[in-house]
Amino acid sequence: MGWREAARLSDLAFAELSLQAIYAFRQGNPVPPGPAHALAARARRRVLESKAIVSAVLAVLAGGAAFLVRAAPLASGVYGTPVRPGVFDTGVVTGLLSLDLAFLWWTGMQILPTFLASGVLPVLEPLPIDERTLRRTAALLYVRLFDLPALTVLVGTPLALGVALGPLVGLAVVPGALAAVAFALALSLLTGRFFVRRVQGSRGGGGRAIVRWAYLVLWLLPAFAVFAFVTAAPALFDLLALAGGDTGPLSAGRLLLVAFPVPLAVLPAIEATGPGGLGLGPAATVAVLGACAGYGGLAVGALAWVAGSVARVGHVPARATTAGPLANEPIRARRAAFAVLVKDLRIASRTPGYAFVILLPILDALAIGLYTYGSAPSPDEALGLALAAVATAALVATFFGPAFFAIEVFAYSYGRTLPVTDRSVLLGKVGLVVGMYLAAGGIVLGFTLARVFDPVLFAGFVLAELPAVVAAALFELGVLFWRARTKGLPITNLYSGAWAAAVVAVPGVVLAGLPLLAFRLLGAGHFSVGLEVMALVALAELAVVGPLALGRRER
Amino acid sequence: MTAVGRPLSVEGLSVAYGERRAVDRLSFAVGPGEIYGLLGSNGAGKSSTIKAVVGLVRPAGGRITVFGLDTATDPIRVKASTGYVPETSLLYEALTPREFLEFVASVRRLDPGTTTERVRAFASAFRLGGELDEPIVSLSNGTRQKVLLIAAFLHQPPLLVLDEPLNGLDPRSVRLVKEMLVRYVADGRRGVLFSTHTMEVAERLCHRVGILDRGVLRGEGTLEALRSRVAAGDATLEEIFLELTDEGDGVRAAVDSLEEP
Repeated sequence: MGWREAARLSDLAFAELSLQAIYAFRQGNPVPPGPAHALAARARRRVLESKAIVSAVLAVLAGGAAFLVRAAPLASGVYGTPVRPGVFDTGVVTGLLSLDLAFLWWTGMQILPTFLASGVLPVLEPLPIDERTLRRTAALLYVRLFDLPALTVLVGTPLALGVALGPLVGLAVVPGALAAVAFALALSLLTGRFFVRRVQGSRGGGGRAIVRWAYLVLWLLPAFAVFAFVTAAPALFDLLALAGGDTGPLSAGRLLLVAFPVPLAVLPAIEATGPGGLGLGPAATVAVLGACAGYGGLAVGALAWVAGSVARVGHVPARATTAGPLANEPIRARRAAFAVLVKDLRIASRTPGYAFVILLPILDALAIGLYTYGSAPSPDEALGLALAAVATAALVATFFGPAFFAIEVFAYSYGRTLPVTDRSVLLGKVGLVVGMYLAAGGIVLGFTLARVFDPVLFAGFVLAELPAVVAAALFELGVLFWRARTKGLPITNLYSGAWAAAVVAVPGVVLAGLPLLAFRLLGAGHFSVGLEVMALVALAELAVVGPLALGRRER
Repeated sequence: MTAVGRPLSVEGLSVAYGERRAVDRLSFAVGPGEIYGLLGSNGAGKSSTIKAVVGLVRPAGGRITVFGLDTATDPIRVKASTGYVPETSLLYEALTPREFLEFVASVRRLDPGTTTERVRAFASAFRLGGELDEPIVSLSNGTRQKVLLIAAFLHQPPLLVLDEPLNGLDPRSVRLVKEMLVRYVADGRRGVLFSTHTMEVAERLCHRVGILDRGVLRGEGTLEALRSRVAAGDATLEEIFLELTDEGDGVRAAVDSLEEP
């Protein structure tokens, strides 16, 4: 049996994986009515739609980079000091490849738990399939999880830059795109394995929960690639401008020149502007070419490792259990809504996709808060930054709110046999969204207050927006609960219902954004009036949405 | 809640999945102090019936009451007075059993002190120790089943609904659960609905059994009543089952067809 058989088997396994991802039968979801072939077709279509959404984002990134390098003379002026075209192109392509890697890796972290939970590989193992074919099947199945997004990076990135700067520049981007995809596949698998062993398999207890959350924070760092790149772009350009010279081999500029993906981004810049465009000296040129060769070898090695390891990872039990004495800890019974919140937090602490949703607004606030504190802004600037950060926290928290509904898919059947009302579940999840918003708001305001001490003003802004955050979360989760009761379709991850989540998240974000817009329109010259109008709009939204969401029949 | 009346009454229940009717106008009842066994081949409709009782499947017709409460109009109170063990151990895999039981105790509004004592007692009975703090995803099927049984018994419900509860358990635990069930209904008020494929277990444990075949009840009653129905005074439950579901000849024919020529 060869690759052809492996491709056929991976096709079957992918159909099963799609079904599991969409309908979560292994989590106990009942089979929806309708013929089996229609369910399978719908599952495949939904997975394809979700892949298309991820690919569209990657295509937009490639298009944006192409626009930037095309408009280099204009764009370089944005940073105050002129940037040489070669340096600018290298910086933009560096950013693009970093974002491609980060986004693919993040996608992998989202879908790996579903891939592992689906159990499609263990099903194949007892069949009379030789080990090599099984390994190839697993590798092909894994690659299929990323196919459309990876193809977008591999084809879309060279195409976009080729159109902007010429076909040879496009070709020169191919090694960088290949390396970004290879590293993303390997990192996804590596973190997936790590997740299975150390996070999903972590025992209970407060101390271990802290460690799990700390691990998950590390996992989320790729998501900050856009923020980091935009923030660090001027420094990157400055460093790149210096890096070409023959400075010491361990200088910051030289180290940057060999750090991934800079050398691979230098190739298209050389093609676009000539070797002089970046001002590379002989030693720097050797370092860049050596690093390119090194990353090429590493990418090939990463792909080989992925091909050989997927099958193993797919079979790894979370952790061998070690029976010991029963811990002398009490069972803590809580109020139902709070119990839902605690349950969701505990599940998120072992599930990267949900941890991401909780941590993103908080880490975002932390980054903005540190920036605000570190840049020593004037009181007016600090106020503007703080208000923007709180607004961002509100919008991010409400945008990702629907993901908390997806947690209900775990043990969906069993959960529905418990005497917990929809209202309790809804309140628990809304509590989580509000907690995220308040934590993020608190962090950013804490940093800002250290610079500009006006607690009443800042607290007023946070509290005026709060009813709108509650209304948005109630709206989003209420619609999803209603949909689940009537259509029975759970949302499990990025690949299984991104469309449905986006459909409710957009009006939710509008609800959270309306009071902010009202403040923006009215608060410029009259802060207190703007704040009052903002609070009124937020309260009006809550007054309309609250009874609608909470007044429904109990299940 | 105060348990008054018949633990479970199912009247004219129909369950359909699209065009396919899994249960067809099924009626039976579980009396106070009774363990009622639901027997049937794969696909006979046992699990569909049980899922309708616990509110996982919306019936296409009929009425289900638990101590007089209608599952359609009073689902939360029905769920509060029911303990359920599903056919497959579908739990919150990312939680530990202790975290899972805390969640169950919370939504069932149980007293923390009493719950802690009960969990400790059940864990000791099932010989569970450190497993209570391991993630469920890493536990064996048998241990998961024990956790589900503890969750079902935790609030001492007046009605237990158990779908193949002995799946994956070791012989000691099987014996333990059977003893627990017998004592559980000994007060003459509680009831147990119990589905199984294992005829010996049903024969020894159940006060009455209902035999389901393709969604229809083929026979119901005590073992003696069923024996008299098939006119065989010393028939085992397995023989009665095969007789009532017309599968006896089918089994022999199937075995014959497996013989190598």
